[in-house]
Amino acid sequence: MKLIRDSLVLLVVLSLQATLLYRIEIGGTRPDLLVAFVVYFGWMRGPIPGTLGGFGVGLLQDLDASGPLGMNALAKSVVGFLVARAGFRVHRANVGVRFAFFFAALLVHDILYYAVATGGDGGEFVKQMFVKALPTALYTAVATLLLLGVAERFTRRRLLTDET
Amino acid sequence: MIRNLLFRRPDWTVFIVTSLVCLSLILLERRAQERVVWFLQHTVLAPAEFAAGWMERGVGVYWENGRLRQRVATLQMEVDAMRAERGENARLRRLLALDQRHPFALVAADVSGRSLDRLGGSLTLDKGEEEGVTANRAILTPEGLVGRVERATAHQARVLTILHRDCAVAARVARTRVEGVIRWDFGDQPTLHLLYVSSQEDVKPGDIVVTSGQGGIFPEGVRIGTVDRVALEPNGLMKEIVVTTAVDFRGLEQVLVYTPGTAEGVAPPDLLEEAAPADSSAVPAVDPEAGASIGASAAPPSGTVAP
Repeated sequence: MKLIRDSLVLLVVLSLQATLLYRIEIGGTRPDLLVAFVVYFGWMRGPIPGTLGGFGVGLLQDLDASGPLGMNALAKSVVGFLVARAGFRVHRANVGVRFAFFFAALLVHDILYYAVATGGDGGEFVKQMFVKALPTALYTAVATLLLLGVAERFTRRRLLTDET
Repeated sequence: MIRNLLFRRPDWTVFIVTSLVCLSLILLERRAQERVVWFLQHTVLAPAEFAAGWMERGVGVYWENGRLRQRVATLQMEVDAMRAERGENARLRRLLALDQRHPFALVAADVSGRSLDRLGGSLTLDKGEEEGVTANRAILTPEGLVGRVERATAHQARVLTILHRDCAVAARVARTRVEGVIRWDFGDQPTLHLLYVSSQEDVKPGDIVVTSGQGGIFPEGVRIGTVDRVALEPNGLMKEIVVTTAVDFRGLEQVLVYTPGTAEGVAPPDLLEEAAPADSSAVPAVDPEAGASIGASAAPPSGTVAP
């Protein structure tokens, strides 16, 4: 059941990312719901599914990316693993906790991503963090919370609960 | 140790292995990466791309539909505006066609004969009373006023041009509406003069002189010529104004006979007078302000001013 639900969520997220999200781009920044899905997946399913889920989703993204293969896979694997390890005992229903987790996870993801992408260029890395990573993390965290709120209201059940 | 790691900390094991795979992929050569990507795209990604494409089409249609609705609304507004303009256009075209059918009830006539006098002054037309060309009809060309019919037979008419001493025309300066009488002055240098203009009036070289319509023979606003020179008469009371004719009488072969009895009283647009000295290059023949009064000016023929 969980697998089916998660697969459906992933399908929806993939579809949204591929079709709708570029339409709500603000100043070149758009939400990265795939990272949000990895956070959700790792948070709810634990370290191993989180890591493997992050790897799979990241690899999927890499196949369509212009950068080196494995960059997204590495970043999302790490995020999936860390979120699962760090968020096991937190109160997931709390909006503030959710926001902090998503925001922090997205920042970690982008730190890894841009560290590889910039190839050790510190100035470019800092610039990308401020120009791209922070706005994207903020936008994604807000968009994810909104989507979660809508989905939970629609299904009348919490998608992110304290139960595992 | 590895066994302990595998069984006691499987999450770490998975994480480490996954990370190593990722790093390996990152460190692969570009050509090798392309092969991996090609393989994965044709095995793993194909179903996902199919699903994404299906969603894209569905969602795309929704967005496209919204855009098209907006576009349709905009185009509908444009169509309505164009439809209104088309109706107005058709209405104006009907009016124009009416005008062109009955602009002045003008009768075209050929110049069949000229005066034997070297200065000219009279013409013979090939149309007469049976064609509606009777005495005291105004003779025009698109360039301006020619003269008036002196007498007519069944199929012929004799015309006194404005270069004839017996043909005087009530006229006005288009710019300032100063009125006077145009008359041929046979002197040392035969010229056309605008007479009876006070020295206080505003008339300048270049001003266009048109018919004033007074008298009923000549329709109002028909161009006569352009003021060539302005001077004071020896007595200082009147201006001496020399006018150059708008019509080239030497090459006159066809004319139009103005028959106001059947006129609709509306001037055709190409004959409308702009009444501005700056536009003196144009040669319109009728003053627009006079248009409405042309039909009503079919009064007894008293337009010929006796010298």
